[in-house]
Amino acid sequence: MQKAITQTWHFDQQPEEVWDYLTKPELLEQWLMKTDFKPVKGYQFQFSFDPKPGSTYHGVVNCEVKEVLPFSKLSYTWNGSTADQQRKFNSLVVWTLIPTKNGTQLHIQHDGFVVLEDMLTHEAGWKACGQRLEQLLTTISL
Amino acid sequence: MSTATLDAFQVIADPSRRQMLMMLSKNSMTINSLAENFAMSRPAVSKHIKILYGAGFISIKDIGRERHCVLKKDGFDELQRFINFFDNFWTARLKTLQDLLTKKAKSK
Repeated sequence: MQKAITQTWHFDQQPEEVWDYLTKPELLEQWLMKTDFKPVKGYQFQFSFDPKPGSTYHGVVNCEVKEVLPFSKLSYTWNGSTADQQRKFNSLVVWTLIPTKNGTQLHIQHDGFVVLEDMLTHEAGWKACGQRLEQLLTTISL
Repeated sequence: MSTATLDAFQVIADPSRRQMLMMLSKNSMTINSLAENFAMSRPAVSKHIKILYGAGFISIKDIGRERHCVLKKDGFDELQRFINFFDNFWTARLKTLQDLLTKKAKSK
């Protein structure tokens, strides 16, 4: 089974244009977060935001670029923590761009949540815990 | 010694507790039979069980003279929220991106 959040979006723009929005800090800031991102493998960067008071999550996400295939694939680690910084989680974000007849299909996969991983490899066993768990598994393998 | 209530993440951060949950996901077990599977002392096992219980991952039922541990769904709710948070997060952000690109195309 997959242990990931996956979403697929369609844009009318060409992959080159969508790619710009995934890789240029001044454009990333407009829809995602402030960042010092560079599309260079091994480059370490941060996403940051001002958490709302009482937010569950800390306002800085530490990342490292893992893969850069211009206009088609981009991945980076996504290591965040809760607001109190007590609970850290490591995960991976993978972007895939596929050109279509009239634009771009953009696919995101966010997975590898380390805290969950061990548990979710035992899918069959968890079914014993009933509907709630089944929902959890379904959500993750969307 | 009091056992502080840990949240779901702290609870599953410990390999022994994860292993206990794995075992309980197959069958409910008595505290004794659960303890037999671990090299640690019986009080150490009890402490882990208290933590699992405190965070809502298991319930404890007295059947005869035995105490049975049964997996419980409550502890998983926070994990569910965690996944939901990111799913919603990306949906909202990508919607913003879509709006941005649409607006830009129109202004050309």
